[in-house]
Amino acid sequence: MKWWMLCKVAWVALQVNLMRSILTMLGIIIGVAAVIIMLALGAGAQHEVDQQIKNLGGNVFVVFARGRASSGARGASGSVQTLTEMDAEAIEQQIPQVSVAAPTIWANAQVIYGNMNWAPSVRGVDNRIFPAQNWQLAQGREFSAAELNSAGRVAIIGATVQRELFGASDPIGQTIRVDRTPVTVIGVLDAKGQNTQGNDQDDLIFMPLDTVRKRIAGMTLASPRAVRSLIVQVADERDMALVEQEMEALLRQRMRTTGTDAPFQIRNLSEMVETRARTMQIFNGLLAAVASVSLLVGGIGIMNIMLVSVTERTREIGLRMAVGAEPGDIMRQFLIEAMLLCSLGGLLGLSIAVLVTRSLERFAGLTAIIQPEVVLLSIGFSALIGIFFGYYPARKASKLQPIDALRHE
Amino acid sequence: MSQPVIESLGLTKTYRMGSQQVQALAGVDVQIKQGEFIAVMGPSGSGKSTFMNMLGCLDSPSSGEIRIQGENVTHLSAAELARIRNRYIGFVFQQFNLLPRTTALDNVLLPLLYRKDHDGTEDFASECLHRVGLAERMDHHPSQLSGGQQQRVAIARALVNQPAVVLADEPTGALDTETGLEIMQLFQQLNQEGKTIVLVTHEPEVAAFASRQLIFRDGRLQSDKQVQAESASEHLARYRAQKQQEGLA
Ligand SMILES: Nc1ncnc2c1ncn2[C@@H]1O[C@H](COP(=O)(O)OP(=O)(O)O)[C@@H](O)[C@H]1O
Ligand SMILES: [Mg+2]
Repeated sequence: MKWWMLCKVAWVALQVNLMRSILTMLGIIIGVAAVIIMLALGAGAQHEVDQQIKNLGGNVFVVFARGRASSGARGASGSVQTLTEMDAEAIEQQIPQVSVAAPTIWANAQVIYGNMNWAPSVRGVDNRIFPAQNWQLAQGREFSAAELNSAGRVAIIGATVQRELFGASDPIGQTIRVDRTPVTVIGVLDAKGQNTQGNDQDDLIFMPLDTVRKRIAGMTLASPRAVRSLIVQVADERDMALVEQEMEALLRQRMRTTGTDAPFQIRNLSEMVETRARTMQIFNGLLAAVASVSLLVGGIGIMNIMLVSVTERTREIGLRMAVGAEPGDIMRQFLIEAMLLCSLGGLLGLSIAVLVTRSLERFAGLTAIIQPEVVLLSIGFSALIGIFFGYYPARKASKLQPIDALRHE
Repeated sequence: MSQPVIESLGLTKTYRMGSQQVQALAGVDVQIKQGEFIAVMGPSGSGKSTFMNMLGCLDSPSSGEIRIQGENVTHLSAAELARIRNRYIGFVFQQFNLLPRTTALDNVLLPLLYRKDHDGTEDFASECLHRVGLAERMDHHPSQLSGGQQQRVAIARALVNQPAVVLADEPTGALDTETGLEIMQLFQQLNQEGKTIVLVTHEPEVAAFASRQLIFRDGRLQSDKQVQAESASEHLARYRAQKQQEGLA
């Protein structure tokens, strides 16, 4: 019998017991829905991570000065063991794969404008921070050489700071107070939004390194050119491992340390983001367990209902055999029926998954992405379950003796 | 030319029911020739159905042979037997055995759908429905048809594969007298058109329309004789006239 005829026969058979068929499909429906939701959330999380890495620059290391930067600890040779702006230059010049190394100093400070009050993160930087972290200016300009060299009282503010202090009014040229130091706003950064941990990336102020060193209270550094961290961007992501090694060696040599407790620490930003994204996988694991149990239960349900169907339709099977159906024809008929049943369950599961992910996005703020290949895969997989669990009943039907089947009451 | 369409040689069938053995057939030799109309008679349990099922390759003998157009089919596989049934045999059952939720036309088409070489045309199936007088009922489902009409659909289905022989096991058993006569009239007409027909019945009135009678008793062929067939059309006309008279009286 031709395939499309078999499908027609199967479709008619399903319609006869529609309610029973749907109940049977419940396991498959739930299983497929769980699989799709799981993969959609996974893809959503991955997408956010990618987005985040793109924001940070996926090819970025952060070199932190370890311990208290103000300790002034001295090595045996008398050199100061701390990160400095010169280390940034050395990395840029001696490791050709590095495109930019931006020195930064981090601080927290009170910022006041008129009667508005805000406490953003304050970063001492130079203009290398813009390429290193993919910052764009929404308004204004970068720092001038004079401002950088003479601890100019200027600031470039993040989008959040702009919103909180200035609202709708134009901040460029306005004077704000950073820990009582008056500073002129010369630029506003393009908004980056939240990172995957929900932290606001735009709640910051950039000022020249020296300005932060000299004018922000409480900043005492080990040496005049010391920094808290270096943001190092690698030209090609494939060179990350190599650059990490070379940077480690270079910094150790410059600081003359060999021990395990080097005064610096190199971290890969994308790794950090991904590590946190892994918490997502615990949830996914749970869903995977639900999915596999329901698919198994669903499969057994399919097997059960197909056995019932074979028994109910024994006379039909006998008649078909009498007029010329070969065992293979009968086998195919029931396999296709089981497959159709499962694919239908898969489709219903897909619809439920779409509904659930839409509401998760809307009400829980999660990102979920249902990829087309996942849809095809899950429908195909349900069809496979149909074949697997439909095989035994179909075989049983095909093994019937025509005369016994015809005589069946 | 005189090669039998179907023949049985030393056919036996023993059913085992626990420790008990039932000898349903105990050595039956019958040759069925092209164009014959045979009635298989005998009391209930004499082995008529068992014999028919083996002629139609629905069941396999305990010993002996079935030959269809000279070919021994006794040891063929299930799939090969299915192909033999599909090519050479048309079945008509007492309980019609139509597929519900399937139109008359699709029911008739069914045997052709199991042919690898079928091109999907419905022409011959609808021709067969015409032949049994159901041209107007092609799209009806079995539940929308009377018993007699359902049996006609079943007969059309038995004709659609142009079988070497039509096997009918008590085809009038579930029908009233008049409808039964109509069905027998149809069988007689089909036989006159050249169809070979083997029909099981325990009613002598029905067997009278055949031209050869096999009588079974206890799994053996008790007698096998050519007879002068009565005309089902005449019987039907007489029956209707009588009924009309009774109605008038
Ligand atoms: N499947 C079966 N299992 C056991 N005994 C059977 C089976 N089919 C038929 N028989 C027995 O074989 C004998 C012949 O049966 P059957 O051919 O149906 O008779 P008929 O059609 O002449 O009434 C009966 O005694 C019946 O009980
Ligand atoms: Mg019988």
